[in-house]
Amino acid sequence: MSDLLAIGAAGVRAMQAAMAQVGDNVANADTPGYVRRSLRLATGPSGASTPLTRDASGGVGVVSGAIIRSSDALAVNSARIAAGSHARHAARTDWLDRLQTVLTGSDLDSRLGGFFDAGSELAATPTSTAARAIFLDRTDQAASAFRDLGSGLANLSGNIADATDAATTRINAIASALGQVNIELRRTSEGGSAANGLLDSRDALLAELATEVRISVSEGPRGTAIVRIGSGGAGALLVSAEGNASRIGVQDIGNGPELLLDPTHAAIAVQLPANGSLAGLLEAARQIAATATAIDALASRFGTAINAWHTAGTDALGDPGGALLATRGLAIASGRANAGSASIDVRVSDDQLLSPGGYRLLRGASGWTLARTDGSASVTGPGDLLLDGVTVRPGNGARDGDTWSLDIASGAAGLGLRAIGPARLAVADRFISDAAASNSGDGAIALTPDASAAAFATPPPWRVTINAAGLAEVSDIATGTLLAAAPVDGTPIITNGVRFTITGTPAIGDSFRILATGPASNDNGNARALAGVRAAIGPGGALEASLDASTASVGSALSESRRLETTARAVKHDTARAADAVSAVDLDREAADMTRLQVAYRANAQLLAAAREMFDAMLAVLQ
Amino acid sequence: MTSINTRAGHLAAVGRMGDLSRQLDTVQGQIARARRIDVPADDPVGFARAAVLRREQAAAAATQRGIDAGNRRLNATDTALESLGNLVQRARELALQGANGTQSSSDRATIALEIRELAAQARALAETTDSDGQRLFGGANAHGPAYATAADGSLVWQGGGSAPAVGIGSNSVASGSDGPAVFGITDAAADTRDLFATLTTLDTALATPDAALRQAGIDTTIGDLDGHIDRIANARGTTGARLSRLESESERLAKARLVTESDLSKLESLDMPEAIARMQRLLTVLEAAQASFVRISSLSLWDQLR
Repeated sequence: MSDLLAIGAAGVRAMQAAMAQVGDNVANADTPGYVRRSLRLATGPSGASTPLTRDASGGVGVVSGAIIRSSDALAVNSARIAAGSHARHAARTDWLDRLQTVLTGSDLDSRLGGFFDAGSELAATPTSTAARAIFLDRTDQAASAFRDLGSGLANLSGNIADATDAATTRINAIASALGQVNIELRRTSEGGSAANGLLDSRDALLAELATEVRISVSEGPRGTAIVRIGSGGAGALLVSAEGNASRIGVQDIGNGPELLLDPTHAAIAVQLPANGSLAGLLEAARQIAATATAIDALASRFGTAINAWHTAGTDALGDPGGALLATRGLAIASGRANAGSASIDVRVSDDQLLSPGGYRLLRGASGWTLARTDGSASVTGPGDLLLDGVTVRPGNGARDGDTWSLDIASGAAGLGLRAIGPARLAVADRFISDAAASNSGDGAIALTPDASAAAFATPPPWRVTINAAGLAEVSDIATGTLLAAAPVDGTPIITNGVRFTITGTPAIGDSFRILATGPASNDNGNARALAGVRAAIGPGGALEASLDASTASVGSALSESRRLETTARAVKHDTARAADAVSAVDLDREAADMTRLQVAYRANAQLLAAAREMFDAMLAVLQ
Repeated sequence: MTSINTRAGHLAAVGRMGDLSRQLDTVQGQIARARRIDVPADDPVGFARAAVLRREQAAAAATQRGIDAGNRRLNATDTALESLGNLVQRARELALQGANGTQSSSDRATIALEIRELAAQARALAETTDSDGQRLFGGANAHGPAYATAADGSLVWQGGGSAPAVGIGSNSVASGSDGPAVFGITDAAADTRDLFATLTTLDTALATPDAALRQAGIDTTIGDLDGHIDRIANARGTTGARLSRLESESERLAKARLVTESDLSKLESLDMPEAIARMQRLLTVLEAAQASFVRISSLSLWDQLR
């Protein structure tokens, strides 16, 4: 009977402990990473009879064993991988979306179109000052759209580099926390609630780490986690069972950012696993860098083509056109150790003379010094400084020893309209030609400016006459001196600064004039030639087509990334539910368990009552 | 077997509803803008194609403005040439009258007076300007006078090159006539005289007292004037041909604009009934999902425990 009491008491204790576990489960129903626990109940040991004890043939009831975490390592692992895959696509989508906003927000496409269309309108009214002013304004808009886009892309790559740094910092923090957990786990005996708590934090850390970078996890002694980067056992070891965590870093070594193991000591470049938000960040960073390169190339091409076009013409004052766009500017960066707060105003009057290495500005005890970075020249003074056409106007508030660097900005960020007036816009061709009204043949003359042509020294005006031998005789109109004679066979005739071709069949005695375009000319030849610049095929097609290609490639990467993100989100939820089916707290199940345990508890209590009644009955007999 | 009353079950259901909300937001945005493509990611290929079409539209509008400017210049030229043609016709009539032997010298003086008047008028017509203030007959050097008086009293063309051409794609249409092509040139070797020299010669011939010399002089100028009438008619013909070329280019551009617009609308615009139906469907699904989520997640065994 005392057995029965003992059995009942053991049952009540065990059921109580199991109920407590149910309560724990319900309390943690919404705790992320909490794994459902249950108490393992075992039959009490039935010992053999000894001289001092009786044989307890019926056993001694139930004992509560270890607390079990119900977790399925495979399901948890696939949930981790799916979460990493979603994090990768989400990060990539997020950054590509920003890239798309920067790219379309600059409105470069329509401003380029507006520039070329203003060229067409300028050709319609070549002498109109209004049309010239509008054209200059559109040129400025196109250049500033390039600049905005260039600086927007630079900001974006700066931001994504910061985000990448933050991600590696998080990864390193998680890895070192995991190392600590491993050390604790090795010290803690298995099955206890302390060990289970550690295992929960181990799983939570692993889940967090897996959203950042692809890891493969194997279990070491006492539930320690051995974490490698990448998939499979051959990946680089991030956290060992002994609790040593390696650091990772991201650096750009030539071909865009790459993942490095142990960046501060013996850096090893690691193949980037295509999973986790870090992978998404690096992929997006590469796309941003590629777009920035393409836009810079486009800006340089635009600047070069427009300047070449403009220098081929003649402005309203009769002078050859100069460069329309500055293709290089200066970007100011304050020194890191600057103690003052002076603002610096920099103007570049002419980009032709800039020193390729850039400039340094220094505030010293004796005043301001502006020097070329290569040290070949410098100026010193109390206020405004001028060197190589660079005017520096320092503001107040500088301290001695402050420095600034003025680096050459090229590409999109360096493009700008040079300060020229409407009259300096080269709308007309350099040379104009006409045919004599008395010509009886149907010959026509076509001119091509060619700065290298120097067959003779006399400048235009020239008269080209077809002589009796069928040769084109070029003579100076003012003096009548014969300068050259060449056959009329469709090959270009080279003169001075221009080549010309006579097409058709001119009659003997027909003549043409070649004149230098004078001031205020009504000619629009150069403005019309802008259509040729617009249509010129370069790398990636015409200028605007090449821009379209960059935009389309970002758009297509983004739309693909969005689709993948949607799929990955569904997979993430599915695998998470599959893992949770084993390890998460299902309230219904807990309710059912509780009901069951309550019944069992009551039954055990009844056992105690029955044993007491039996004792009472026995005692009554004895009385 | 997955269960619904777990944390992940809730998250998955909420995630699915979030998906539906996002889709609804996209459709709603498309309906509000009445456009299918708003950013490159909506349809990268379509976006690029639309950019090309929009550029074509803008370029066509700019070309059209160039054609309009060319039209203005050619119309002004045509008007000037018409006046000039009438003027030369009148000069010829006067020359024929002057050639009539029955005219008295005072009659001839009256005729000469009118001829001088016509010469001044021709001189003024030679300096006609277009709406931008550029000389119509000055070629590219059109900001100054088209003709200047030389030391010997003859008029010399000051222009050079040709008037600004109208660029249409890679082609161009000339939009002006040079002075020599309209007024002729004076060339002693070829025995030709420009219009001004012809009128001066006629004036001189009319004042010649000797009847035979006078007759010969007037006959020469009548021949010259016939040549001028031909030349001016040719110039008008050329101007008319250029005008009609610009007209047909204008029509082509207008047709192309219609095609581009319809392409653009096919590419970008939203199929409104389809979009509204899609939104309705999504709304229904979302409402059903929300309702079923609330019903199912409120099912709990705990409520049954008494």
